[in-house]
Amino acid sequence: MSYSKKDEDAEQALFRVDRTSVFQEARVFNSSPISPRKCRILLTKIVYLLHTGESFPKAEATELFFGITKLFQHRDASLRQMVYLVIKELANTAEDVIMVTSSVMKDVSGAGGRAGAEQDIYRANAIRALCRIIDGTTVQAIERLLKTAIVDKTPSVSSAALVSSYHLLPTARDVVRRWANEAQEAVLSGSKSSGFSLGFGSSAAAPQGSGMTQYHAIGLLYQMRAHDRMSLVKMVQQFSSGQVKNPAAIVMLVRLAAKLADDDQQMRKPMYQLLEGWLRHKSEMVTFEAAKAICELRDVTDQEVAPAIHVLQLFLTSPRSIAKFTAIRILHKFASIKPATVNVCNMDIETLISNSNRSIATFAITTLLKTGNEASVDRLMKQISGFMADITDEFKITIVEAIRTLCLKFPSKQAGMLSFLSGVLRDEGGYEFKKTVVESMFDLIKFVPESREDALAHLCEFIEDCEFTKLAVRVLHLLGTEGPKTAQPTKYIRYIYNRVVLENAIVRAAAVTALAKFGVSAKDGASVDPEVKKSVVVLLTRCLDDPDDEVRDRAALNLRIINNSEQEVAEKFIKNDTLYSLPVFEHQLIMYVTGDQSTFSKSFELSSVPIVTREQALAEERNVKLRSADTPTLKAPTTGGPAKSSAGAATSTEVSSSTIANTQKHAQVLATVPEFNPYGALLKSSTEVELTEQETEYVVAVTKHIFKEHLVLQFSVKNTLSDTLLENISMIATPSDDNEATLEEDFIIPVAKLNHDEVGTIWVAFKRSADEAYPIGSFTNVLKFTSKEIDPASGEPEEAGYEDEYQVEDLELTAGDYLVPAFAGSWENVWEQVGAAGEEATESYALGTELKGIQDAIDFLGKKLYLQPLDGSDVAINATTHTLRLFGKTLNGGRVVAQVRMAYSGKNGVALKATVRAEEGGVAAMVVGGIA
Amino acid sequence: MPTNLSLFSVTAVLILASDGSRVLAKYYNPPHSTTKSPYPTAKEQKVFEKGLHAKTVKSGGDVILYDNHVVVYKAESDVIMYVVGGLDENELMLFNVVLALRDTLLLMLRNAVDKRTIAEHYDMVSLALEEMVDDGVILETDPQLILQRVTKLPQSDIPNIKDIDLSEKGLLNAWEFGKKHFAEKLRQGL
Repeated sequence: MSYSKKDEDAEQALFRVDRTSVFQEARVFNSSPISPRKCRILLTKIVYLLHTGESFPKAEATELFFGITKLFQHRDASLRQMVYLVIKELANTAEDVIMVTSSVMKDVSGAGGRAGAEQDIYRANAIRALCRIIDGTTVQAIERLLKTAIVDKTPSVSSAALVSSYHLLPTARDVVRRWANEAQEAVLSGSKSSGFSLGFGSSAAAPQGSGMTQYHAIGLLYQMRAHDRMSLVKMVQQFSSGQVKNPAAIVMLVRLAAKLADDDQQMRKPMYQLLEGWLRHKSEMVTFEAAKAICELRDVTDQEVAPAIHVLQLFLTSPRSIAKFTAIRILHKFASIKPATVNVCNMDIETLISNSNRSIATFAITTLLKTGNEASVDRLMKQISGFMADITDEFKITIVEAIRTLCLKFPSKQAGMLSFLSGVLRDEGGYEFKKTVVESMFDLIKFVPESREDALAHLCEFIEDCEFTKLAVRVLHLLGTEGPKTAQPTKYIRYIYNRVVLENAIVRAAAVTALAKFGVSAKDGASVDPEVKKSVVVLLTRCLDDPDDEVRDRAALNLRIINNSEQEVAEKFIKNDTLYSLPVFEHQLIMYVTGDQSTFSKSFELSSVPIVTREQALAEERNVKLRSADTPTLKAPTTGGPAKSSAGAATSTEVSSSTIANTQKHAQVLATVPEFNPYGALLKSSTEVELTEQETEYVVAVTKHIFKEHLVLQFSVKNTLSDTLLENISMIATPSDDNEATLEEDFIIPVAKLNHDEVGTIWVAFKRSADEAYPIGSFTNVLKFTSKEIDPASGEPEEAGYEDEYQVEDLELTAGDYLVPAFAGSWENVWEQVGAAGEEATESYALGTELKGIQDAIDFLGKKLYLQPLDGSDVAINATTHTLRLFGKTLNGGRVVAQVRMAYSGKNGVALKATVRAEEGGVAAMVVGGIA
Repeated sequence: MPTNLSLFSVTAVLILASDGSRVLAKYYNPPHSTTKSPYPTAKEQKVFEKGLHAKTVKSGGDVILYDNHVVVYKAESDVIMYVVGGLDENELMLFNVVLALRDTLLLMLRNAVDKRTIAEHYDMVSLALEEMVDDGVILETDPQLILQRVTKLPQSDIPNIKDIDLSEKGLLNAWEFGKKHFAEKLRQGL
């Protein structure tokens, strides 16, 4: 029988092995004498199974494991190496693996008898296997062995020992910590013995090693000294002076230096110098890591970052896509912080948007979106249309989404983009792609009013020849809502009726509903042109003969509503201007469904879901869309950074979206207090303001609630004293002199008593006098209570307490408390409209150096004024000047528009000039006054 | 700033065939550590591989962001080799690993890096990978050094040449041994 032949069969069969047969064959481990070749083939099969996703059950794994340990009797190096590989793989599943420790240790120490190179081959394997079979309690037994191995002159052994120590850290930190000297020595000896293999592969490597030992040693040393900043600093300084040659090891040093610079302001300068030096390192790996570290430095200045950007720019034109990718990824991330500094690379980035690697192209486009200005948009569009035909649908979607964001950002460029969108809409493409294009046009119509007529015309054309029923239905719905508002609604009626004639039942039904809307609503509240109404009625009457039930039903219903003389019913039913706040609705439904059994005893309460107007819903939607498109939208990938970078933008927009939910939440609480019932509906609740430090005796926080004619202050008081009982607690809130007349105290609901750690709520109600609609000013607040000490022996409070007062911080009632954010499609329009009808006030402020930069100032104003930033002005693009455009309404519904120009300089902080226009008298001045 | 100072930089190393099936898949999970691997079960791994393969099989890239991981890859005849790492990893460092894997296989398999050859030398391929990455820690990226540390399949089970001390027995004995050995081989071959 021939070995070679059999083996060939066996190897061909590798792809057909199964677990059971391998387990059967394991007999071969017990045969004597041991055949290294046969055994190694079987071991290979086990590895193959494990590496292709098969796993052995515990019992089988254990049996295999102990079968394999028999192979330690044979000294063949090639067999031994494979044995260790399998031991490592099985160590997780098999039981009692610790039994083989002594055999493995023999190999590690080199006591196996065979000397020299032969054993060096598998010594490293033995060390790595050892740390898998050992547990935390027995680490001490191998301490001496590992310590010697770490300083071994063979790099592979030393590396294996270092990495094994690293693996053991979580279980035996204290033991491993004692090996710091050895690790230190490994770094230094690594520098002596290492030939330098710089990065890529096949360069002539010195036999000694590539210096990876240094990488492992530095990684281990960091973990050992992580708590000791001084020794880390020493480590970076010592190792950065040329002793460490391995690029991977330097990457570790770069990261460490960046961390030190971040943790300690004093270290920042020396560390920056090191990082800057590493930018010129000959290994790309190090260069990129240093550039990344510099870009991520906190409060990095333009000057500091310039060399890093320059280096990255050079890599953008590198022939290697990995270098391009890394460079564009770092720039992309940095562009969300300081777009202006990345501007210089725009030309190079533009060449990347047609790159065949989709990740690179996506990053390029989204980076340009951030750094681009209005002027470059046209060029960008031209370039994109150039290669649009050659790319896959999926990538087209990414691009269309990017363009949609551009449209929202630069509404003035809508014409060009619209023609681009309509162009691609005519191209071939699947459903997902067409859907994205149509949705982008929807967004244009919603948020960029000037584009409405053109976009609608394009969509009309699209449904003439649309193969996707779903899209046709959506377009028809949109035509129904938007069409009547245009100057010539009849134009659209023709398109819609064509659908009724030519399409399937689903589209016909949608078309009927859309038609009906033309019959009841018209431009800006004007009454419907009787001619239009008449034709709609005629058309709908024809639909009554439709073969489909649903179409007939809809036609009949709508006819009836149109003919009904009560305009109000029709308006409400067909136009449907308000909707439930969907996120809140969803949340409450989930809470209801996932709640315990008892919640099902009563039905879901729909009335608890806040109703928002379309305007508010749009405002939120737009914010989400502007932000979501910041990140590349390839299916799974994300960029990691955006959460951090958009955090600034989020805070100001959260203000608007949370106001409604916040007010709604408080309304429920207020409803439980009967005294407030006559006040009517709650108009607005502020966020909670703390009036004391968290660690004082009595912790007080307040929430302001505004009603139509009243103001209610909700003080929540917490008693933090463990040995005192508070009784009869009330809050004397006194309005400051200038608004004493306008606010008249109505009543106080005190708290009867508060034990240790209890929280009570005091309500103070004021009546707002009719003369001044929006009183502002401050309140001085004094907490009044009877304090009773608790006898520590009995735990009972003493009989008589004493009266005490406790003054907390003043509460400001500001303009922001009377404002709610609102959305408008075009800030310019509202600005002009309100300017014509209302009054204007202007004021300049210097906010000082407390706010660090423009973005801080934007967030600050967002919180202070409760107005909605429009036109994407809530994200600072330029670091020194910015114009913030705000829009909102007062609680009475009067519009308030604001334009805030600001400038920032490091010395003087933020200076701003705010111009506010408001429809109601006195409001403009009040809002301007409320800024600081 | 979450600086990545861990040595664990590789989440997985994969070699997939052109149809997306596995040739070799190694997902790393640090021993003695409580952190969970992002793809603990075979099912999740398969889903990840399928999606990744679909994304990479056509486009000539080298690198892609997929499912919150940086994935670098290299195609060679009918297999694609992937190295998967976290988002903060140095892309070049990962790329060095995938290059090392490719170059080692090229050297080891004499430029025939395909599914069949890999299967025939599966032991050496696994050993090479073992010398490259140890549970997520990059051990070595120099193909020459890796190759030095990978042993071949022992030629036969007949007494190893090295076990015979040639110096003591002289050339004649060596010749005798060789003849015997050869004859035996021939007999077996028949």
